[in-house]
Amino acid sequence: MEKPSSPPAMADIFRFLAQSMRYPTAEWLNDHFWSVLLSFLDELQWHEEREALIGAKAGAADFLEDVQVEYTRLFINAIPHVAAAPYASVHSRGDGTLYGAIAEQTKKFYREKGFALVKENDLPDHIVYELEFSGLLAKDDPEGQKIFLTTLFTPWFEIFRGRVLEEAHHPYYKVVVNLIDFFTREEL
Amino acid sequence: MSVKVTRRKFLQTASLAAASIPLAKVVAAETGFVKNPFTPPGSFTGTQTVTGGVCEMCFWRCQLVGKVRDKKLVKLEGNPKSIDNGKSICARGNAGIKLLYDPDRLKFPLKNVGERGKPVWKQISWEEALDECGARLKAVQEKYGSHDIAMFPHGASAKYPMDFFEKVVGTHNVSEASFFQCRGIRDSAYMATFSVPPDESVDMANARAILLIGCHFGENVHVSHVKAYLKGLENGAKLVVVDPRYSASAAKSHIWVQIKPGTDTAFLLAVMNYLVEKDKYDKQFVAAHCVGFSQFKHGISHASLDWAARICDVPARQIQEVAELLAANAPNVSIHPGRHVSWYGNDFQRVRAQACLTAILGAIGVKGGFVKPKGVKVKAISWPKGEHGGEHNLRLLADLHHYSPPGTPTELIRDACISGKPYPIKGCVIWGQNPMQTIPNQQKTVAALKQMDFVMCVDIMPTDITMYADILLPEPCYLEKYDFIKTGTQWNFADKHQQYIAPRMPLVDAMFERRDGVWIMNEIAKRMGYEDKIPVASLEEKINKELAAVNLSIEQLKKEEGIHIQDGKDPYGVAEDLEVLLYSEDLEENGYPPIPTYIPVEEAPQGYSRLVYGRAPVHTFNRSQNNVWLHQAMPVNPVWLNDEIAGKMGLKEGDEVGLVNSDGITSSSRTVVKVTPGIRKDTVYMAHGYGSRNPLLTVGANAGVDDQELITRLAIDPETGCNGMRNNFVKLVKDGKVLDIPA
Ligand code: SF4
Repeated sequence: MEKPSSPPAMADIFRFLAQSMRYPTAEWLNDHFWSVLLSFLDELQWHEEREALIGAKAGAADFLEDVQVEYTRLFINAIPHVAAAPYASVHSRGDGTLYGAIAEQTKKFYREKGFALVKENDLPDHIVYELEFSGLLAKDDPEGQKIFLTTLFTPWFEIFRGRVLEEAHHPYYKVVVNLIDFFTREEL
Repeated sequence: MSVKVTRRKFLQTASLAAASIPLAKVVAAETGFVKNPFTPPGSFTGTQTVTGGVCEMCFWRCQLVGKVRDKKLVKLEGNPKSIDNGKSICARGNAGIKLLYDPDRLKFPLKNVGERGKPVWKQISWEEALDECGARLKAVQEKYGSHDIAMFPHGASAKYPMDFFEKVVGTHNVSEASFFQCRGIRDSAYMATFSVPPDESVDMANARAILLIGCHFGENVHVSHVKAYLKGLENGAKLVVVDPRYSASAAKSHIWVQIKPGTDTAFLLAVMNYLVEKDKYDKQFVAAHCVGFSQFKHGISHASLDWAARICDVPARQIQEVAELLAANAPNVSIHPGRHVSWYGNDFQRVRAQACLTAILGAIGVKGGFVKPKGVKVKAISWPKGEHGGEHNLRLLADLHHYSPPGTPTELIRDACISGKPYPIKGCVIWGQNPMQTIPNQQKTVAALKQMDFVMCVDIMPTDITMYADILLPEPCYLEKYDFIKTGTQWNFADKHQQYIAPRMPLVDAMFERRDGVWIMNEIAKRMGYEDKIPVASLEEKINKELAAVNLSIEQLKKEEGIHIQDGKDPYGVAEDLEVLLYSEDLEENGYPPIPTYIPVEEAPQGYSRLVYGRAPVHTFNRSQNNVWLHQAMPVNPVWLNDEIAGKMGLKEGDEVGLVNSDGITSSSRTVVKVTPGIRKDTVYMAHGYGSRNPLLTVGANAGVDDQELITRLAIDPETGCNGMRNNFVKLVKDGKVLDIPA
């Protein structure tokens, strides 16, 4: 088994964060992913969060289904409502709908940096896209990444994160949004 | 979370050595981005006009264009080429964008891993969803028979699936709300009288007088229909509005008949009797086309002005005034057939009376009268019809409702579900309909659904009924797909006669994993073993084949800006063989009154008031509840209460109240009181389509009161089996105290 050695690159970290916000399937939410996630928490000394995750997994009859149900409830269609739609425009500079002004601005920013979505009809402001994009800028355009994060990402992510922390029943997404916060917040 | 290690430190020192694999190996190989050299603004910031939209915020289907900027729909407008709605669309039409981008819309197939009514949803793949739907429907079919699958469809996209279940699977248990809780009575009553379903085919634009029984245009908005109505008024038509409430139409009327609810048939009989007695009917038309005039004359002879005045609680001279006005302007009179007519359970007789009144005024095929437009017929391509006998047809088994609209009366299906008799119904497909808010008595609907082996729903929004689904599938909305082919003529028959054909075409691509009804149904059909019966491979192919029959194609329509226009035909004139059955032997043989007859409805008990409901201009019943713009235009549905009664009850404008009905059912949410002299003392009114209890609707949930929740007393129209929904009586509840309504 190939083992990690040097510190992880920012680009990879963002790809990892993006991955962790995709719909959970057995394909990727597997033991390898899990061990990387726990290593992160270990080295960050987030012991409580680590224990919470281990406990949730150990106590689950079907851990994957628990996370899928939680993802659906938080981010797709849920009771009491779509608690935390993972789109910038639902939270920021709009009236709570998809594809608001910030989504268009985000798409424009991608273009200005020389990128476009593979699925060009997708909503550009989904959290997975925004994290992947941050990762793409991390290596060659850290200044661009910083502008992206401060002007287009953080303002809505803070609200979104608050919603997740308030609404989540399962520790997984609480941990993930805190990890994203840790790697995107300016002052850290 | 406290910060124990800083980001900088982590990035310098972390090794993730404990992980079983390097970080880069656990992430997806590809991102969702491609390198794309930056193109300066201008090439993508411009807004394009996309043609071919057909609105579905209501069933009127106005033709649209979309303003699309960089793949995003930013505005909807009427298609300037349209000879129907023209450049105009209504508030709901405009707000279609908010439906398109509503974050609460269904996005992916969902599986309920909780229980029906208290769902716990999980996103699943289409493959899994379709396999489960196919296998479980097949299991029901094999265990109990095809008839044990019930279907509740609604809207253009449900027609193809409905045909599959009726024609291929072979169940009769299909019930459309648009028939059984809405217009089916109207269609059947006109069919039984003139042999044609009337639609809303009155030539109001060219009428000299218009009679509306309960229609409230202005609050009820369908663009070209309202244009015709307003054109008629502008041209000087006299307007008579029969309504217990001072509606938007009543406000424009020459005569407002503030009728007691449930008594309209008595009113119409008295008008007709007066016309006959005073020789003010169209003798020539009656002689040429009407059957059974003498029996009819004799049968309505009891309906004097005084008789009706007592029943309807309106002055006799006002009924006379209406009759005189209609006679003076005949035959150029629009007796509007109505649309939502399922009111009291005596409705077939009322609507038949409207048809008979139209006939004795000679108001058929003439300017301003009942005139069917001559549009193009485009035949829908659908599933082949199999051989299925009538032995499991609940309506035939019960030997009831001989004038039922197509399908099976909802009540018969629901009763069979609950009782298991004459056979159990164990599979349920709900496609675009929300029976929780369309079918009275929600407790019975819940009981029917809970006993099913399998329930699947297909919808665009998480409506109340979707909480009872085992599998919930997302469809694209009308702005994202090909669909229905709208045909018609110019809206004003005084203008050059033209016909149009406008297939619905997508203005933007469907987002998420939404799939259209043809694709979904075909996939389920394959899994149920009916692959050989599939008539078309895709919705696009279906529309293209249908268009080919009139020498058109999608490609051609795109060139023609979404609407094909051709010369039309003069719609006026009466077929020589038109027969109007003023007296119907067929009705008599089946045990129903052969001439229009007034059947009294139950009176409100002491302390209660009759609850009537209607439309709001910014909503299409419950379908637009979650639309942010529309919600903001009218967030709740105030309950109209007579000012004198409100004074006696100590209520004032804006007071928050709930409602409780005579069966003890209390509204789950509250609304505000509208104090007005514009409603009878024995009646309260509210707009329908509020107060959803599905918390997935972040805007519409618990906003206003759901009148349907309070409609627990069922009246069944005997001829048609349709529901009457205005026989429920309510009190108001303020600060937890139940208040009698001292009518
Ligand atoms: S009347 Fe309004 S909601 Fe209905 S189809 Fe026309 S624009 Fe759409």
